[in-house]
Amino acid sequence: MTSPISANIRSLTLTLALAFLVTSIGAAYWTVLASDQLANDPFNPRLIAATNGRARGAIVDRNGAAIATSERTDTGFARSYKDRTLAQVVGYASSKFGLSGVEAAYAESLIGQDPADPVSIWRARYLGDRSPAGQVVLGIDLKIQKAAADALGGRKGAIVALDPRTGAILASVSVPGYDANQIVDPSKQDAAFDQLTHDAGHPLLNRVSQGLYPPGSVFKVVTGAAALESGFDPTKKLRVDDPYQADKSWGDYYVRSSSRAHGLFDMSDGFRLSENIYFAQVGLQIGAAKLTDYARRFGIGSTPALDLAAAKGQLSDSGSIDRPTLLADTSYGQGELLVSPLQMALVYAAIANGGVMPTAHYATEVRDPEGHVVRQIAPGPVGQVISPATAKTLTTMLVGAVAGPGAFAFGAKIPGIDVAGKTGTAENRPGEPPHGWFVGFAPAQNPTVVVAVIVENTPEGGVTAAPLGAAVMRAALGK
Amino acid sequence: MGGGAPQWPRWHELSLLVWIATFAITGFVAVLATETSSFNLTAVVVPVVFLALMLALHVFLVSIRFRGDQILMPIAAGLTAIGLVLVQRLASDLLFQQLSWSIIAAGAFAATIVVPRDLTALARFKWTWALLGVLLLIAPLFPVIGREINGARIWIKLGPGSIEPWEAVKILLVVFFAAYLEEYREVLSHSQRRIGPFPVPPVPYLVPIVAMWGIAMLVMVFEKDMGATVLFFGIFLAMLFLATGEAFYAVIGLALLVLGGIVAYQLFGHVQARVDTWLRPFDEDLRFGTGYQLVQGLYALANGGLFGAGLGNGMPERIPVVWSDFVFDAFAEEAGLAGALALLALYLVFLYRGMLIALRAPTMFLQLLAAGLSFIVALQTLVIVGGNLRLIPLTGITLPFVAYGGSSLVTNWMLVGLLMRVSQVSTRMRGGGGPS
Repeated sequence: MTSPISANIRSLTLTLALAFLVTSIGAAYWTVLASDQLANDPFNPRLIAATNGRARGAIVDRNGAAIATSERTDTGFARSYKDRTLAQVVGYASSKFGLSGVEAAYAESLIGQDPADPVSIWRARYLGDRSPAGQVVLGIDLKIQKAAADALGGRKGAIVALDPRTGAILASVSVPGYDANQIVDPSKQDAAFDQLTHDAGHPLLNRVSQGLYPPGSVFKVVTGAAALESGFDPTKKLRVDDPYQADKSWGDYYVRSSSRAHGLFDMSDGFRLSENIYFAQVGLQIGAAKLTDYARRFGIGSTPALDLAAAKGQLSDSGSIDRPTLLADTSYGQGELLVSPLQMALVYAAIANGGVMPTAHYATEVRDPEGHVVRQIAPGPVGQVISPATAKTLTTMLVGAVAGPGAFAFGAKIPGIDVAGKTGTAENRPGEPPHGWFVGFAPAQNPTVVVAVIVENTPEGGVTAAPLGAAVMRAALGK
Repeated sequence: MGGGAPQWPRWHELSLLVWIATFAITGFVAVLATETSSFNLTAVVVPVVFLALMLALHVFLVSIRFRGDQILMPIAAGLTAIGLVLVQRLASDLLFQQLSWSIIAAGAFAATIVVPRDLTALARFKWTWALLGVLLLIAPLFPVIGREINGARIWIKLGPGSIEPWEAVKILLVVFFAAYLEEYREVLSHSQRRIGPFPVPPVPYLVPIVAMWGIAMLVMVFEKDMGATVLFFGIFLAMLFLATGEAFYAVIGLALLVLGGIVAYQLFGHVQARVDTWLRPFDEDLRFGTGYQLVQGLYALANGGLFGAGLGNGMPERIPVVWSDFVFDAFAEEAGLAGALALLALYLVFLYRGMLIALRAPTMFLQLLAAGLSFIVALQTLVIVGGNLRLIPLTGITLPFVAYGGSSLVTNWMLVGLLMRVSQVSTRMRGGGGPS
């Protein structure tokens, strides 16, 4: 039968069939192709609900001490957080507000579905296994963590300690913190979360990896490394006369010395006395390209690889050093630089580790319910960012910056151990007190711990921060 | 059919129903097995009653010596069974209601098979259908009887409950358009005047086109239902294309719809919210607000994988109003991509059978009627599944036969009845039988 509209019916059917094809591809996209990413989205309720009838895995420190556990209640399981100072690191697993921190980053592992452990996944999914899910072991050592938290006290700021050989984070404190137990308590969570999200102190922010600060003098190692590797002679004396300007084109712009210095400085003196004018001149001599190159090698202005959220920071507002005054200011750590404490710790870890920068990580192992290790978390190093010789030279100078005559970072000294380190007093917004920095490592000959300390808005700057660094290193070294 | 055909007159229908029964029973048992709550009698009664109902329909068709299509009824039965299993899974307190609706739907189906003595006679009352359709369409806008549910004003009160008149309107529209276009297609498709490549029909024939577009826009603005707008206008464009073969009408119509959509986006909050939710559901300001439902749906899909979590093992209940808006995602979570594709294939076979009936129908009115009715099911499926899959903005259209909802189930079964009637007319005229 031929009808004038038969062809039209066929065309319409074909069009609809094609639409069905597109729809099928859409279904394949969401169920299979985009599946992994969505399944691990921290707001996916399945990541929490999987543990409604089963204890969520525990989070423990490197010695097995509990940091977060699930305890049975009348209605199921309740999460219990043991260490408030680790709030931003451990995060929370709330059926209402989703997941954050380690709870989010290792969500699958904590519900017994670590990708490296397919047997547990199948047991839980198809055999209804309800034994407690596996554990996540952190690199955190609660003893060092306590020392760091005590050292910072109630002051706003952050302390991070890591092992320069592996990148494992040993302690991580960010103040102000919060009590995650309130976020998982149905009767308090709404008020608590509302208060936390509106708190001007940003307690939910992990200042260690997400807080961005001008680095000030702790950045001078980057300028020093760039100079050493460009053939700059560190023993060459440079004339320092406060205030300094390279030429008249700077107008009324000057680099100031914090000690109003006049005299001849070599690089050791520059580090020991934290002389801005010395490093400004070094930067101007080696040029913006070299400094930019080494800043990038050290990870300034790029997001560090980390198993939790981390901020990127910047070398400058535009991303490049495009004028001499900015080059001079950047060379001693000011200008428009922004870094996180973790980024600074990694810079010093590279120096401590013979020029090889490690990859930072909070977790070190995932274990199954029986305690067998199903996955080691040991990311390889970022790479060789400076030569071993440069690293050695810088280490010697940083030891001098702590223990040399008149050294600014004297507060970081530990009896019987060589500490390498540098203080910083970072100017920020006009009218606000500066931030105090200390970044260092010990023992200088064979470093096992790097510490970065920042104390926000402290008039004494680096002088305040140095002893805090010493306290943490002592805890790490057992001294 | 081959020479060794069994004697039972509607053998194909019966054998397909056996598969449906297998699925329905397996589905209910699987859902029951995963439920921790105590044994529920309804859950056993429901599949038994439903299967008895379908068997009764089959026996009814055999007893009246009905000789039309044997595939559509089992597909509708299968989809309705999936719907019941999903209601049991997702909203078991609504199960009894949905079963009651399927009994009413079966009754409506049987009535459609018997009542209109002569299908062609439907064409004579086309203006009656048009008027009735428009009245039903705008009925929810009137005070007292109109009702607004979930932001859309597309319901009217009826006794203790409320019904969606839109569901009946779509069938009335197709009947009207089929009759109207059969009469006027010559004028519309063989237009003498052209502006450039575009055919321009005489003004009197343009009027209904513009009027339909106007009504569609009014529905969008006042009933706040983008789904109804898309379906309403989509049916109109498809029918116009079927009758005239002028893709130009479809293109200009789509352009008008998009234009109307863009203007509405600028002017109306509810349209803006829908589109924003579609474009960026994961944004922080939306994921806990208007985007919540869609995002939860996508999580459900992601949990599906290739073969699904298994019936009763996913957690699609996290999706708000899952049983009416997001059954596709719920099914895909528990049956996986394999199940989702199988479900889509059922609709595709339905479309194919419907269009085949259209191709074989003896008169143009019946051709347009069958093609239009098949188009409704396909378009509704594509629009809601596309919305569930975030391919297009989400609209409140129901997934035919599967989604919870009485009005939809009843009218869709009537639609199946009409399609089968058309197929019967062709069979009778050719004097043949069998399924093909």
